[in-house]
Amino acid sequence: MMKKRDALTYPLYPVVLVIALLALIPFFFLFVLALKNQEGGLSSIRLIPDFNWTNFPNAWKAGDLGKAMMNSIIMTGGGIAVLIVFSAMAGYTIARFPSVLNRIIFAILLACMMIPGIINTVPLYTLLIRLRGINTYWAMIFVMATNALPFSVFLYSSFIRSIPISLEESAIIDGCSWFGAFWRITMPLLGPVTSSVVILQGVGMWNNYAQAVFFLQDKAHRNIPLSISLFFQQYGANWPLMAAAATLGLLPAVLMFIFFQKFFISGITTGSIKG
Amino acid sequence: MQPAINKHRFLHPNTGSWHRYMAVPALVLFSLFFLYPLSRGVWTSFTAWDGFSTPKFIGLANYKEFFQDSRALRDIQNTVLFALGSAPLLNIAGLLLALLLNRTFKARTTVRSLLYLPAVISPMIMGSIWYLLLQPRRGLLAILLQQIGYGSTSNWMLSGSSAMIVIVLVNVWQYAGMTMIIYLAGLQAIPIEHYEAAELEGASRGNIFRFIVLPQLTPALKINVITNIIGSLSVFDAILALTDGGPGYDTESLSIYIMRMCYGNKTGYSTAVALILFLIILIPVLFSLQFFNAKEKA
Repeated sequence: MMKKRDALTYPLYPVVLVIALLALIPFFFLFVLALKNQEGGLSSIRLIPDFNWTNFPNAWKAGDLGKAMMNSIIMTGGGIAVLIVFSAMAGYTIARFPSVLNRIIFAILLACMMIPGIINTVPLYTLLIRLRGINTYWAMIFVMATNALPFSVFLYSSFIRSIPISLEESAIIDGCSWFGAFWRITMPLLGPVTSSVVILQGVGMWNNYAQAVFFLQDKAHRNIPLSISLFFQQYGANWPLMAAAATLGLLPAVLMFIFFQKFFISGITTGSIKG
Repeated sequence: MQPAINKHRFLHPNTGSWHRYMAVPALVLFSLFFLYPLSRGVWTSFTAWDGFSTPKFIGLANYKEFFQDSRALRDIQNTVLFALGSAPLLNIAGLLLALLLNRTFKARTTVRSLLYLPAVISPMIMGSIWYLLLQPRRGLLAILLQQIGYGSTSNWMLSGSSAMIVIVLVNVWQYAGMTMIIYLAGLQAIPIEHYEAAELEGASRGNIFRFIVLPQLTPALKINVITNIIGSLSVFDAILALTDGGPGYDTESLSIYIMRMCYGNKTGYSTAVALILFLIILIPVLFSLQFFNAKEKA
């Protein structure tokens, strides 16, 4: 919004500075804490780091965070892949062929969009026990993809409706099948909506705790949030180590955000306002 | 709205029709991992069941037990109080931040990103961090208070009401950037001409906000209000990390109660609680949907 600089523009900077500091100080303090010496470091209340970097490798080892990172990568990656394939296909068909079946499917998904995962976690837990899905990657992948499905189908179908159907029709007249038209013409145009699905749901899957705490119980399958929470229960008295573990735990999400900032912001907005 | 497609099937009868059924895999996935467990949950909510043996039908006994359990009623109160604190504060903070950061100034995008940053971090990890920062005497806040002369050694987590305030504030701190981004998108969708016309007419800032900005922000408001209602009423990780539901059960939310009942082998009972929570979420969501849809039509 183009506005002339008026008197109200100038006190803006101090206000913004205070807000930025409010957002940053907790991270700064966490970092200082993670760099504290083990002995005596706790009694001192100075906000000056000791630069004791050994807390990081120690926390990494003690919490088996390498394994947890791998688990989180596998489950988030798998969940996103399943989600995109299923929801892009469904979104396409729903947008292009308003048959009774497709309308019913869309109505069901829309109605369930408002139901948070926790509502059916307990019956899902008993189902997964029977399917031998507890402590497996595949169960978490399918559960997380399913929970994200309604919103993603909604995003894909409304995005595909905005693409002119004449593109596909001309491909079909040239001898393409409908699936060929979807695959070769529509699919490559889905970049923006796919990136917003990846970002919105990828963050949710990476941070998933409510399902992980039910379905991932052995050490070998824990994801990052679960590992950090167990780390805190185990090393409750060792603040520098806890701070180091928390820093390591939040680092992947923060780095992803820093590298893909633009996509994050546009992903959130296409995902909400235009959706 | 939908163009007629059918003619192509006659033009190209060999292309088959399975492209019309590409939503079926999604339906199968959704049925297996969502609809089926959900319907099982409705059935088990009427049974006494430990999760392993055969469920025994007991009618409405689980629901009766819920409303006679003071801990459960306390949890409803906690959950609703959390939502009543969290959802409005998130929207007010998000809207104020959006109005502030919609103005042109240097480093605007950096500040926006910075404010959004906490929202990408797991609430479990963020809660754990705030738990450390809020420790009495040696935590960040205690140190800062000491610097300005308040030698406070109080532990905010020791009383239920102050612990709840802390949880609300931490949640607002973490997600204000998220509501801000959505309000910003709403603000940017307002054509500049509308401001210009209003300014030409000599409208005051307050009136421009009230009559130009606010009505056009309705879609953003709707999304923020509804996602915040759902999110705050199903709050889970943040409370576990900050207080573990304590002191006592003073900050325990319904979703935490569901998990604990399930682990306590009261599987049937916990599915009944889940359905009660579902209703507690559904009612305000439907009300606000109706409110905003009426607004959008007007």
